[in-house]
Amino acid sequence: MDIELSDLIVGLLMTVFGLLGLILAAGATDIEIYVFGLSLAGFAVVFVIGLIRRHYDKQDARRHGGSDHV
Amino acid sequence: MSDVAIGSGVFAGASGRSAVIYNEAIVKKFVIAAMFWAIVAFLVGVVIASQLAWPTLNLGLPFTNFGRLRPVHTSAAIFAFGGSALIGTSFYIVQRTCRARLFGGEALADFVFWGYQFFIVMAALSYVMGFSQGQEYAEPEWHLDLWLTVIWVTYAIIFIGTIVKREEPHIYVANWFYMAFILTIAVLHIGNNLAMPVSLFTAKSYNIASGVQNAMIQWWYGHNAVGFFLTAGFLGMMYYFIPKAAGRPVYSYRLSIVHFWSLIFLYIWAGPHHLHWTALPDWTQTLGMAFSVMLWMPSWGGMINGIMTLSGAWDKLRTDPGLRFSVTAVGFYGMATFEGPVMSIRDVNALSHYTDWGIGHVHSGALGWVAFISFGAIYYLVPVLWQRENLYSTRLASWHYWIATLGIVFYISSMWVAGIMQGLMWRAYDQFGFLQYSFAESVNAVHPYYVIRLLGGLFFLSGALIMVYNLIQTVRSPTTERRRVLPAGAAVAGA
Repeated sequence: MDIELSDLIVGLLMTVFGLLGLILAAGATDIEIYVFGLSLAGFAVVFVIGLIRRHYDKQDARRHGGSDHV
Repeated sequence: MSDVAIGSGVFAGASGRSAVIYNEAIVKKFVIAAMFWAIVAFLVGVVIASQLAWPTLNLGLPFTNFGRLRPVHTSAAIFAFGGSALIGTSFYIVQRTCRARLFGGEALADFVFWGYQFFIVMAALSYVMGFSQGQEYAEPEWHLDLWLTVIWVTYAIIFIGTIVKREEPHIYVANWFYMAFILTIAVLHIGNNLAMPVSLFTAKSYNIASGVQNAMIQWWYGHNAVGFFLTAGFLGMMYYFIPKAAGRPVYSYRLSIVHFWSLIFLYIWAGPHHLHWTALPDWTQTLGMAFSVMLWMPSWGGMINGIMTLSGAWDKLRTDPGLRFSVTAVGFYGMATFEGPVMSIRDVNALSHYTDWGIGHVHSGALGWVAFISFGAIYYLVPVLWQRENLYSTRLASWHYWIATLGIVFYISSMWVAGIMQGLMWRAYDQFGFLQYSFAESVNAVHPYYVIRLLGGLFFLSGALIMVYNLIQTVRSPTTERRRVLPAGAAVAGA
């Protein structure tokens, strides 16, 4: 499992932002913070899934002898 | 140096030097986003121009009201369209001029792209829901400001990190302009948005400054958003794409350096001209006016440098519509940066301020300079990034050029007439010393010009739609596929 450092840092960062979004949404006193918090959490989930997908796409590309820039 | 396309990147190959694979996927994403947001910005602009001409089009609903849609239009134009074009081109230029792949890997660049798009969507949503700091071009509330700060700092790390690890010894002038744009916008954004939220779970916040101090900081931010976002960044674009498209070096590299340092030194002081005849101390207003007038010199130095780069290549304007956009943009840059200092003179400002002359001035810069220089860059980039031989149709690009130019002429000339008329009506007195016209009479008088402005906006939007169609076809059509050059003497099998 050779995870790129930038993938790891950005992934962790997004996880923290996602949790922060959930906390904001949970305690929101107005619609703006509620929508922002939930959207941030959703955005973080989708982004991290994208990172994981690209990691495996790269592995596949390397296995088949192609460029690892996918 | 020859560039060879591999996967989502490009190898920069040169004898005796290791190959570099550029991250072009991120540039493509920003180019697509810029085109998308351009259409959104122009469309919302047309909607709110219609509302000004015919107020019933506000529809009586809070979220379709002019007051909420106007920041959607300005943010979509400046931050979404302009910002995407700027970040995308800066990533393209810094890699090629430094001969280095973007610092921080693909994940960090993707974080900037998606994080920035997320900011734009959330900001637009908050405006239509009625949340705003009430500060022009700085409407997003504290939570969105913090999010943008994270994105912007990451962007700065990528850009500066790429410059630090460059393989070329020289830092090309375009990168200096982009760096000034990135660093100054960071300082302005943080400085103007220092606010105390009511609570961590509430969107409402209060700025640390109040009254005239708040106004001063706001226009220090506001005018330098024009100076560093809408000018310095796009000058970086000009200094790369005009020489590339013209196939000529910059007319005077020395002038470009003088242009850079004088522009960034002078611009930062010009903000107070937005607050003439207010509670702001007189000396501060004079300072802002004086520095605004001094800005003529670097602005015109840059304009001359951009236009003169075409020396010996003027014929390309006939065949390259992208270059035509870029050069016309520089012309509009010269015109807008002449008009701005004139309007900053206190006595001129007494007539022009609060009138539609200001709107006309802003749009000669936004449509003529910012949008046109971006269109020029996009017309250059799309065939390069998607490895196509040429544009799908230069005729359609020419149609775009002329329709958009006509749209700008309609827009700015109608606003000049409307603005000067408003200013004159508001200051007219009768023989007894009473105001000659009521405010409502001035509103009624400008109605025909509002309709002409709407027509100009429709033209500009139509031109942009033509561009999007042309560029989609450039990417998709088999007629634009890059031709493979056979070695001399080679024959196609079976031919």
